[in-house]
This record gives sequence, C-alpha cells and structure tokens, in this order.
Amino acid sequence: MGYVNRRNRTIAGVFLLPTAAVLFLTTIYPMLYALYLSFRNYDLAKPFIPRIFVGLANFQEVLTSGPFLHSMLITFKLMGVTLFFQFVIGVGLALLVTQRLPGMAAIRTLLLIPMMISPVIVGLVWLFIYFPELGYFNYFIGLIGINPIPWITSTQWALTAIAIADIWQWTPFVMMGTAAALQSLSPEPYEAARIDGNSNIDVFLHVTLPQLKPVLISLLFLRAIDAFKIYDIIFVLTKGGPGDATETIALYIYRQSFTFWRMGVGAAASFVSLIIISVLITLFFKSMQKSAAAR
Amino acid sequence: MGIWKKSVLAAGFVALMCGSALSQDKPFEGVQLKMLGIGDTSVTRLAKITSEFEEQTGAKVQIDMLPYPGLIDKIIIEASSDKPTYQLLWVDSPWVGMLGEAGALQDLTEYAKRDAAEIGLDDIIPVQLQENSWQGQLLAFPASGMIWHVNYRQDLFDDAGEKEAFKAKYSYDLAPPATWQQFHDIAEFFTRKKGDKLAGKVLEQDFYGNAESYSRVQGAITHDYFPIMRGFGGDYWDPATGLCAMTGEPHVKAAEFMKSLVPFNPPDYLGLMWDIQSGYMERGETALSGYWSVRTVRLTNPEEAKLPTLGKAGFSGGPTEDGKPQPTYTGSLSFAINAKVSDQEKEAAWAFIKWGTGEKIMRRLADEGWGISQFRKSILADPALQEKYPYYKVLLDTQTNARRRIFHPFYADVEENFGVELSKYMAGETATAQEALGNACTAVNSRLSMFPLEQRLRWINDAPVTVLQK
Repeated sequence: MGYVNRRNRTIAGVFLLPTAAVLFLTTIYPMLYALYLSFRNYDLAKPFIPRIFVGLANFQEVLTSGPFLHSMLITFKLMGVTLFFQFVIGVGLALLVTQRLPGMAAIRTLLLIPMMISPVIVGLVWLFIYFPELGYFNYFIGLIGINPIPWITSTQWALTAIAIADIWQWTPFVMMGTAAALQSLSPEPYEAARIDGNSNIDVFLHVTLPQLKPVLISLLFLRAIDAFKIYDIIFVLTKGGPGDATETIALYIYRQSFTFWRMGVGAAASFVSLIIISVLITLFFKSMQKSAAAR
Repeated sequence: MGIWKKSVLAAGFVALMCGSALSQDKPFEGVQLKMLGIGDTSVTRLAKITSEFEEQTGAKVQIDMLPYPGLIDKIIIEASSDKPTYQLLWVDSPWVGMLGEAGALQDLTEYAKRDAAEIGLDDIIPVQLQENSWQGQLLAFPASGMIWHVNYRQDLFDDAGEKEAFKAKYSYDLAPPATWQQFHDIAEFFTRKKGDKLAGKVLEQDFYGNAESYSRVQGAITHDYFPIMRGFGGDYWDPATGLCAMTGEPHVKAAEFMKSLVPFNPPDYLGLMWDIQSGYMERGETALSGYWSVRTVRLTNPEEAKLPTLGKAGFSGGPTEDGKPQPTYTGSLSFAINAKVSDQEKEAAWAFIKWGTGEKIMRRLADEGWGISQFRKSILADPALQEKYPYYKVLLDTQTNARRRIFHPFYADVEENFGVELSKYMAGETATAQEALGNACTAVNSRLSMFPLEQRLRWINDAPVTVLQK
C-alpha cells in the first residue's frame, strides 16, 4: 500500500513538473528578479550608472511621487466608473437574456463576443471609432448636426472614451456570471413573493438581489482586480495622454521601465501595485467567508 | 600525364580561379545583415532595392520596419543583449548620446576616413556628421538630413483675393512668415469654417490655418517645441551647471506661442503626432504647418499626397522672433552599426551604409521622384533638382546654417517630461508656460543633479567630430 502511495506521488510529481517549471520560469523567477531590481538603481539604457543596492529608495520615490499618486487617482476613478456601469448594464442584460423569449440564446452568444477579443484589438477597434477626423462616432453624430468630439485627444473626454471601451468589453463578463447565477436561483421565493403581491421591482430588490449577492461580490472583485491592471486599451488609444489624463498605474510602471528605462523604480512601482491588488484579494476572500457564514 | 588527367587539372584550375574571382566580386557572400529600422522615407525607399546590394556584395539584407513609437525601446533592448540580432540600427540623431554613452554603437570614424573619397565625405553638409557624433566619434551615418521648416499652401498665398484681404486686415503683404507674429497672423487669417470661402471656393469642411504637433506620444510636441524655442533664441542647457535651462524668457515665449496657435489648429490638436499633423498638409486641409523635412518630401509626390492635385506646396525656413536669420536645430535619420557584431559583419554593414547613403543612390531616388530629405550638397544644390523639388534650396540654406539638436544621454527624460508637461499646458491643465516648463526641468534635473558637474558638462559638450578634422 505504502509502495503504491509512494509510486502515485512520484507519478503525480512527474506530471506536475512541466507545469511547475513553466510557472517558475514565467512567473516566479521574473517576480523574484523584479523584487531584486526594486532594491537597485538599474537603468537599462545607461549601463554607466552603477547598478547598486539602494535599499528602499525606489519604493520611497514611488510612494512620494506626484505622478504615481496621480496615476493611482486615475486608476481608481476609471475603476469606479467602469465597474458601476458594467454592473448596472451587466445585471440588466442578464435579467433580459434569462427571459424565455425567442432568439435569446443567439443574443446571449452575440453579447459575449467583446469579452473574447484581445484588449489590444479592442483598443484598435475603438481607435477607428474614436479617430477624430475619420472615426465612425464623429461621423454618426455629425449626421445629427453635432460637432466632432475629440474623444481621445482632449483631457475632458479621453478618460470617458477609455471607460466606454472598457465597459463595452467587460459588461458581457458581468452579464454572463449574473445570468448563470440567475438560472440557478430557486423558484420558491419568487412564487411566495408573487403570492404576497410584490411588484417586479420589489421582487428584484428583495428576492433576486440578496440571492445574487455572493456572485456579484465575486464578479466585482474579479473585475476590480482586472480594472486595476488596465493597460492595453489605454496604450493603444492614448498612451496615457493627453498630458497625463489617462495615465493609470500600469502606464506609470511602463513609463518608468521602458521610457525612462528605470527598471528599479518600475519594479518598485509594480510591487506597490501588487500589494494593493493583494489587499483587494484579501478583502474579497474575507467578504466571501462572511457571505458563506451568513448563509 | 594523360590528356584526361590534364583536362581535369585544367578544369579544376579554371574553377578555382572563377571561384576566387566570384568571391572577390561578392566579398560578403554568405553574410546575413538584419536592420532594425523604421517604416519611414529614410528606409522605405531603400528597402525596395536592397536586392541590388545583395547582387553586388553577396550579403543578404533584411530590414525590419517598425513604427517610430517603440523603436528606441527595441534598440535599447537589442543594445543591452550580449547576443545581437541586428547588425544595422536605424538611429534618430537625438539618440546618439544615449546609445553612445552606453557603448552600443560602433565608432565609424576610421571607416569613414578610410573610404572618404568613396563616400564623398566633403559632399555631406558638415552639421549632418556632427549631428551623428558623440564626444567627437562618428557613431552613425546620415541617411536623411532633416530640418524643421515651414510648409505652406503656395496656391493660396498666390491667390489675388486672399492677398488683398490679408493686406487689408494686417497691413502687410501675404508672404511666407519670417517672424513668429507673421506665422500667427497667417494661421489666424486662413482659419475658416465650413461654408466660408477660400480662394473663391465655398468650403465643404472646416479649413485650418495651422497644424502643429501637439501630441505627447514619443515627445512629438517636444521635438516641435525645440525648434520654435530656438527660433525665439532659446537653448537646452545651462553651460555653467550642465542642467536643464529651458525656463527662461525665450522658452516661455515659445510655449506661449504654440498655445496661441491652438485656436487655428484642428480640434484633435492634442493627438497630432507627426504623421497625423503632416496628413493635414498632405490633404491640403491646412494653410501652414511647420514640421521636419523628412515628411516634406511627400508633398511633391501625388502618389503620396493629395496636395499636388489640389494646389501647390511652398517651403520656407523656420521664422524667428525678429525676422533675422537664426541658426535652427537640424536632425538626422541615420544608419549605425551594432558595436557587438563580428568584424566581418561590421564591414558588410559599413558596405551597406556606403551603398545606401551614397551619392549614386540618393540621386537616383531624387530622379525617380522618391524624395528623401537630402544631406548632400551636390544634390541639394543641383539646379534641375531644385526646380523639381523647391524645398531643396530651403534644406541647403537652413542646414548650412544650423545647430545640432539635443544629443544628451538623458534625452529620453527630456523628451518625455517636456512631452507630458507641454501637452498639459496646451490642454489647459497647467496654468502657465512657466509652471509647465519648470515642472519638466525639475524632473530632468532631479536625475541629472546626482552626477558630478564634470560629467554633466561633458554630456552637453559638443566636441567637433574628428572625421572632419583634416
């Protein structure tokens, strides 16, 4: 018996080895190397600058830097707006597509398409839509007599333009998760609520929403973590500009690492960002545990 | 020895001779050259005919063309690698200091001295060689010589009605701008709305008096701000401290001038990267646009620009504050050799540079209509070519009296910080030009001040390029 167990463990280990190796090479080693860099004065473009140990200086610089704090503000602003609309529209769509109406299955599939496209492609699609002179958006609003809007080239509109693109791409994710949850809800509370004469809004607020809460919290945290890392769409559409109007934390890290070539500062900013994401994840699990305990 | 044996021996000898002659004809047979280049005129023209170089030398050339944004990233990563992939690197002259101080580029001084007659060293406008030097070493070779200058709608400037109206409004004749005030007046005058008349015709869409680069992407706004700043008499560095000095009166005036042009620019002005900006002139949708001559070459070719079919482009040097000529900043788009490649690859790469930048190829491209922003005196001064390309005279005159552009190892910091701060100022996010320039200079100096004074002064010292010393 012991031999069989030992042999099974060995076989399991052999099967796990490729995954562990890939994980080590693509995630663990780069992370450890980034941690090493975050404590050094490392400028890739200037090998004449001594790549010395600088302690926490890079972290101190990041945490006291105006542009970093600004990028944090932009990130949370974008996160707040996109999550709000993704959830309002996503839940609304989920309620719609779970109705037993003809063609709903096809509509549901079509609505999922944006989520399946790579964010870089989404960025390029929206670049065509927003393009100031030749873009579709300005063409269509021009037909109803509205002047062209500098969607991605004005500090007033650029963040909104990015939020619209992100909402378009990720609302289906919320819709899909919510729709799955809706379909698994037990019908009894609904029957009871209807017998009691509750309106549809009351049913939604007091029956559906409480039952959806654990799923919505899960979706919220998953989306929040993703929104915190937003990079691709912004890089394609505005590269953080105009000015620094759309510079999120990911763009700040990119700029430090690949524009100024300050790999140490970029790595330190990445770790600060990692800590923030870790706090979000911790909150997520705590809230999950609370929900589970309440049930 | 039998007849057969003699025949075989003779055949072998002939084959050996032929092989040796062939290898002398094609000295780089079997060498593979890869160039990390840009998808712009300095490379695209040449990329079409590299097979001719292969035929002559035996070296195979592959050119990977990337967009300007992001190209320097690839070059720095390539330069930091111990196993180089690219033998040839396309270099924008402001990068020379950064790549030179990092030891990434091969010193071409000895090659250029050795082959001075073949490359026509004396035929090259001297500032173009200076532009590619770092601490006196020639680190790249010009493939396209640039100057920031003014492009305008010659046909509109020649229109009698427009001339009369301009004179009535501004009390002087409509002509290419010699001062910044005139530049501003012309931009204001030609800004028209859809339905207004332009040269007697009703406009079907808005017409812009001016199109400048205001985009922060890849420091486009910075590179257009610098020549304007120079036109106001400003410069980059404090010669006593080696620190950023772009906060003085000429610098502020230049930034304020750029902002004063915003109402005459397209509504997407903050997104005007060079290609988008020059597109307005190429489509004939603006009256006046100052930009780098590397894109000017498209304005005379109807296959690349709509303007030659609508009207005519005119060209003049950059204005100054008082109208008196002032040395402007030049630029160079160049070919360099990766310092880490083998000696044979270096020789092959140098042969490619000689071939691709030589007088013969440059003249041929000019003759065929595929203009390059030229840097050879013999071509720019050729009367027939000047007739064909009116901007050649502007290029010759301005480059002859030009100063080299920024070449500091911390150039990327300057480009990016000024790009962001100027963009914010133009967008109205920063209240004053003084504040914007102060923010940018503070960010640059926060890094520079960590280095000793001696080193900072060395970085701003433009040592004369030794290849020109007799």
